[in-house]
Amino acid sequence: MSHGTAAAPHVHQAPTGFWKKYIFSLDHKVIGIQYWLLALTAVFVGMGLSLYMRLRLAWPSGEFPFFGGAQMTPEMYLALVTMHGTIMVFFVLTTAPQGGFGNYFLPIQIGAADMAFPVLNMLSFWVTFVAFVVMILAFFVEGGAPIGSWVAYPPLSAVGAIAGPGQGMGMNMWIISIGIFCLGALLGALNFIATTLDMRARGMSMMRMPMTCWVWFVTAVLGLLAFGVLLAAGILLLLDRTAGTSFFVPGGLVISEQLIDHKGGSPILWQHLFWFFGHPEVYIAILPGMGATSQILAVFSRKPVYGYRAMVMAMCGIGLLGFLVWGHHMFISGMSPYTAMVFSVLTLSIGVPSAIKTFNWIGTMWGGQIRFTAPMLYAIGFVSLFISGGLSGIFLGQPSLDLYLHDTYFVVGHFHLVMGVAAIFGMFAGTQYWFPKMFGKMMNETMSKIHFWVTFLGVYAIFMPMHYMGIVGHPRRYADTSGVDFLAPLQDMHVFISYAAMITIGAQLLFLFNIIWSMMKGPKASDNPWEATTLEWSIPSPPPFDNFGGRVPVVYRGPYEYSRPGEAKDFVMQDEPMK
Amino acid sequence: MSGNHASEQGEHHDGTTKWFMTVWVVLLVLTAVEVFLAYIHLPVGLMLTILLGLSIAKAAMIIAYFMHLRYERFSLVLTLIPMWMMCTLLMLVIFPDSFRIQEWGWPR
Amino acid sequence: MSTIEADGVGTSVWDGGVSPFGIPSKKLSMWLFIISDALTFTALLMAYSYLRVSSKDWPMAFHFYPSIVVSTVMTLFLLTSSITMVFAVSAAQQGRMAASFKWIWATVGGGVAFLLLHANEWRTLIDEGLRTNSNPWGNPLFGATFFTITGLHMLHVTIGVVALIVISLGYKSGKYPADYVEITGLYWHFVDLVWMFVFPLIYLLSVAPSGAAH
Repeated sequence: MSHGTAAAPHVHQAPTGFWKKYIFSLDHKVIGIQYWLLALTAVFVGMGLSLYMRLRLAWPSGEFPFFGGAQMTPEMYLALVTMHGTIMVFFVLTTAPQGGFGNYFLPIQIGAADMAFPVLNMLSFWVTFVAFVVMILAFFVEGGAPIGSWVAYPPLSAVGAIAGPGQGMGMNMWIISIGIFCLGALLGALNFIATTLDMRARGMSMMRMPMTCWVWFVTAVLGLLAFGVLLAAGILLLLDRTAGTSFFVPGGLVISEQLIDHKGGSPILWQHLFWFFGHPEVYIAILPGMGATSQILAVFSRKPVYGYRAMVMAMCGIGLLGFLVWGHHMFISGMSPYTAMVFSVLTLSIGVPSAIKTFNWIGTMWGGQIRFTAPMLYAIGFVSLFISGGLSGIFLGQPSLDLYLHDTYFVVGHFHLVMGVAAIFGMFAGTQYWFPKMFGKMMNETMSKIHFWVTFLGVYAIFMPMHYMGIVGHPRRYADTSGVDFLAPLQDMHVFISYAAMITIGAQLLFLFNIIWSMMKGPKASDNPWEATTLEWSIPSPPPFDNFGGRVPVVYRGPYEYSRPGEAKDFVMQDEPMK
Repeated sequence: MSGNHASEQGEHHDGTTKWFMTVWVVLLVLTAVEVFLAYIHLPVGLMLTILLGLSIAKAAMIIAYFMHLRYERFSLVLTLIPMWMMCTLLMLVIFPDSFRIQEWGWPR
Repeated sequence: MSTIEADGVGTSVWDGGVSPFGIPSKKLSMWLFIISDALTFTALLMAYSYLRVSSKDWPMAFHFYPSIVVSTVMTLFLLTSSITMVFAVSAAQQGRMAASFKWIWATVGGGVAFLLLHANEWRTLIDEGLRTNSNPWGNPLFGATFFTITGLHMLHVTIGVVALIVISLGYKSGKYPADYVEITGLYWHFVDLVWMFVFPLIYLLSVAPSGAAH
């Protein structure tokens, strides 16, 4: 197969030595794998925490290991809630999809030899790693992990140790960790934007980029704009706790019969600043999964992505609208109903580009010669979960309904399906799809399919009942509601969900085993085992140090030349010249 | 001191020394105007508007001339400025909550 | 629509192989960083404005002398350091290393003067009783917002001064190209730009009504 080439560029030297090759590597591929491994570690920590949460919810009076035989207090439960949410949202959903797969494949897919700033790339990973270490250390400091939940609302997060165990040093560690994470994320975002704009090979116009590249670009723009505001909020919160300021603490607050020595601040200010970041953050979490899904659906349906231009517009629309809707997390904060109405209309209108993308995914599959490989199953699973989770969002987007449903399990079900699990499925899909390229070995299809089905059915079993529980009125972030009359009947449902969670979390060990086994003993992968068209499949598996082996690709075609009439095969690589 | 290179093709010598000094003097004058304004008794809302307007004007001059954005490709301007403007305008949405707090005179 | 011809040669700057903005990636990244940092400062200034609007008895604590005079002089130093930076960049682009080095150090001088005056002003205000959680004049948030915003700005100025020194030495020794002077210049102008907002919003809106000076 011919590859279009331009004149070979200056080739930089491959690194030598263990530290330069594997630890402080400047190679975007190594850094991508480092992010991916960080997320893999974090996700198992996060799942372990959620398992403990589920055990407490199902059997409130039970005793658990690691607590010295004591029962789990409600405060310990809240610490689990806080750390589970924080670790999952920041160290799993904001690292692997963007920093992991994006770092590895963006340069290759656009035909570059590396990211625009390799040193900055390495720094962003290690800064993120330090943030993770600081976050984990919060478990081990005096008082333990914070209990303010991942949103850390003041005044309870601002007044220090008097607010509860973990709200002393633990909360400080949390804020510092998030602040460090902001810096790492900002440096990464700079790199992605500069790389996408400046490093595309000749012929790789913006509208010929694979969907994944678009998605990583839009995500980076969102990150650039949102993390700065979180950093500001974090600085103010830390000052409230350590320097005696009262940005977020009003006067007259009495906790445990003690008058708190702060006055003049506004907790609502924190909510505004946090959610101004927080809503774009959830789009940062989900967009890369959407891109991977688009990509994988096209490859395994042997059809182009349906409506490429519409998909790009919809993606940009979701990114833009994502900044306009943060108030829907604050409907019950007492905001003016007119403000609520504006936020509500904007929130519901995000359904339009989301629906465009969903219909286009289905349109991509429609009439295709579908190959039900493991990556394809996960991608279809993503679409299913996104639809399920997205639909419940429409209920929550209406202030009148949200007044009742806010802080109930309905919200928990909604965001887990639409963000947590869908994005995880995007990561499963990405891992399965790109594993051959990254490690040169194929993953085991049988194990993958078993893992897919158990996980897919498992997460529905876990999160669907939560919608019902929310409508009944079950509040979230409560360790034990078995003593409450109207909620006691739901205890059986808690038990059911917890069993489903145990099985599903157990199945993830199969995924982990699959990865390790395949890395060691998997069958060797060819350059292009999936017969895909994008540039990463035109190079060896795993790729050489400088991606294209010294040649500079020239791109002649779009990224989805599948099933073209008149062609010998049902796919044509992007860098194959026109005849 | 840099000489007059305004006529040079496409490179970075688009501003002359004289022009940069003019911008600098304008910035100083506007600063003086702002300080002067602080001492005449305008209603707060009006003063805030004028001060912000002057600040934006000064910022625009620094960005356009000192930071050279005026002479870069317009697509760069279109990429950068709307992003910052949008986020800033969005943050104004938080103010109705602060007006509410002020009206209700919450305990301090 | 892409205008790529059959042999793959692009005709639009967006067709790959070139930077669409016609500037080096490092310079583009500095602009992107500036946007992001601008949003951090915007968020802080918004928080300050929000708290001030919702507060009673905000102190009007800055007397003409020394506060307003000194802060105006600080503004002049910063604006002057900006123009010297422009000359430094211009000289660097013309390859006049020695001249550029001089102008960069003039900029450093302006920045250091700003920092010294600012630190002294902090000392004076602290001596008068201004703290992050209290002050003798009114609402305690006055000190909180003042120290936070001016403190973060001072941090940025300090980082800028250090960066300028490093760049000047590197450029003079030939290690760094003239581009680096321009890119550091962008950061320096950004720091000046932030002050264009901090000065009126924090100082000029809190001038003490005409009366006794200190």
